[in-house]
Amino acid sequence: MNSTEVNKEEPQGVSELVEHLFRHEGAKMVATLTRIFGIEHLTLAEDVVQEALARALQTWPFYGAPKNPAAWIMRAARNLALDVVRREKVFREKEPEITRLVEEGNSLQDKVVFREEEIADDRLRMLFVCCHPLIPAEAQVTLALKALGGFSVGEIARAFLTTEAAIAKRLTRAKQKIRDARIPFEIPTGEQLGGRLDGVLQSLYFLFNEGYKASSGANLVREEICHEAIRLTGLLAEHAAGNVPKTHALLALMLINTARLPARQDSDGNLLLLNEQDRTRWDQAMIARGMFHLAQSAAGEEITEYHLEAGIAACHSGAKNYASTDWRRILELYDQLVEFDDSPVVALNRAVALAEVHGPQAGIEAVSASRNLTSLESYYLLYAVLGEFESRLHHAHAAAAHFRKSLQLAEIKSEQVFLAKRLEACEEEAR
Amino acid sequence: MNAQSNNGYLLIFRGTDWHNGLSPEQTQKVAGDWMAWFKKLKEQGKVADGMPLEPTGKIISGKNGRVVADGPFAESKEAIGGFFYVTVGTIDEAVTIAKDCPGLAYGAKVEVRPVMEQCPLASQGAAEPQLAEAHA
Repeated sequence: MNSTEVNKEEPQGVSELVEHLFRHEGAKMVATLTRIFGIEHLTLAEDVVQEALARALQTWPFYGAPKNPAAWIMRAARNLALDVVRREKVFREKEPEITRLVEEGNSLQDKVVFREEEIADDRLRMLFVCCHPLIPAEAQVTLALKALGGFSVGEIARAFLTTEAAIAKRLTRAKQKIRDARIPFEIPTGEQLGGRLDGVLQSLYFLFNEGYKASSGANLVREEICHEAIRLTGLLAEHAAGNVPKTHALLALMLINTARLPARQDSDGNLLLLNEQDRTRWDQAMIARGMFHLAQSAAGEEITEYHLEAGIAACHSGAKNYASTDWRRILELYDQLVEFDDSPVVALNRAVALAEVHGPQAGIEAVSASRNLTSLESYYLLYAVLGEFESRLHHAHAAAAHFRKSLQLAEIKSEQVFLAKRLEACEEEAR
Repeated sequence: MNAQSNNGYLLIFRGTDWHNGLSPEQTQKVAGDWMAWFKKLKEQGKVADGMPLEPTGKIISGKNGRVVADGPFAESKEAIGGFFYVTVGTIDEAVTIAKDCPGLAYGAKVEVRPVMEQCPLASQGAAEPQLAEAHA
């Protein structure tokens, strides 16, 4: 290397690097390279980007971060891609395209390396591939996190409380499926689009819930998953292919719920109930963004589960405190929601709202009246909710029994701590 | 080995594949930590220079220096990735610096080598002109 070519600036510390720069720029580059290499070479695209990041890791510490780190990574990845294309015979016919790309990028220097729309298109193509109906739901989410979110196998394994080997296997199978089924790297059009879009929204909803359902202090990756889901849904909402009211509804529900995450636990990472939360810690800017998309979502005729859930979240976020929450409105929304979704989890949530309006006894009755309750038998929240109802009725023995059962089933530490606290209080009262 | 060196120490970073398996997030963190580490040492006047090395170059061998091959292809765990030239006075100080290397946690190794007090090459180089004068 000729040292005179190197811009030897004062090295910068980590604080000066853009947050999540590598992950986000790397993921964008994976999508673009996948378009060029072909979806069957997704792993190769990932490897090239990984190598580009490794280059940055090797040189930046000595020479300092470049002025435009994102462009630097893009350029490094492009040049590596060119090496690969020249080396591998399979890509012989693709060489002119890559060469064009590299030259284009280099002539633009450190400004915009690719047009943002072009990147967005590639990312959406990748999203439609990851969420293809032929790929099992769990694998869709894993693939999206890896290929679109830039998460490592280890991070995904920790978030899903499983092993790295299990995640790696899931990814290999999903990629095999893409090859075998010849899933095209494209945004569906015409009649296909509607159905495929529903599938993508559902996967994004699932992805979001994976992050949201149990965010604990020891597992910050989960919160990152929520943000990734928001990012991807936002991308979809901005694009002609995905800019429909239900996309905005989904985005609204994600934003408004995520805005409340910072208040969900205390400084020790213990879970806080809605009525215990410090509402000043809710992210008002994010709630405002959510409300904007909720307004956008009202444009069409169609009402979806996402609309209802976003509406419920909006009711909570609009209340100054727990006491002034509009539980009647929330109950109405849940009444509509159970029409769409007869899952026992929704019924359980509805029972909570019902108890706020008509008292804990009504809540208990609603729970026992709900259909397919048996599928919730090993769900810790069922017992936590029942324990709460019994406790409000001062049935301390019954409440303690429910909390004990719930504690046995809870898997996450912050939840266990919370339940143990409730159990102790009930046992004390029962004495 | 001398515990003291007036010519400083070379910190040689060994291992060029330790970042494999790191997520982009972790990779970025290590790069940032490493930059901060280098910057701090510079501000303290403890490091004079540092360079990363390309993973491979050329290996020249043969008695007449005629064999030129691509390389090195040493095991990547041992391959040299770069170096710092630190100007502290004792090996203990150099070791203390080396212990802060952000790559250690991921399996990189740091080799600390004192730069020799008197360079025989330099003294030879200085001696030759005198000989030349004597012959003239």
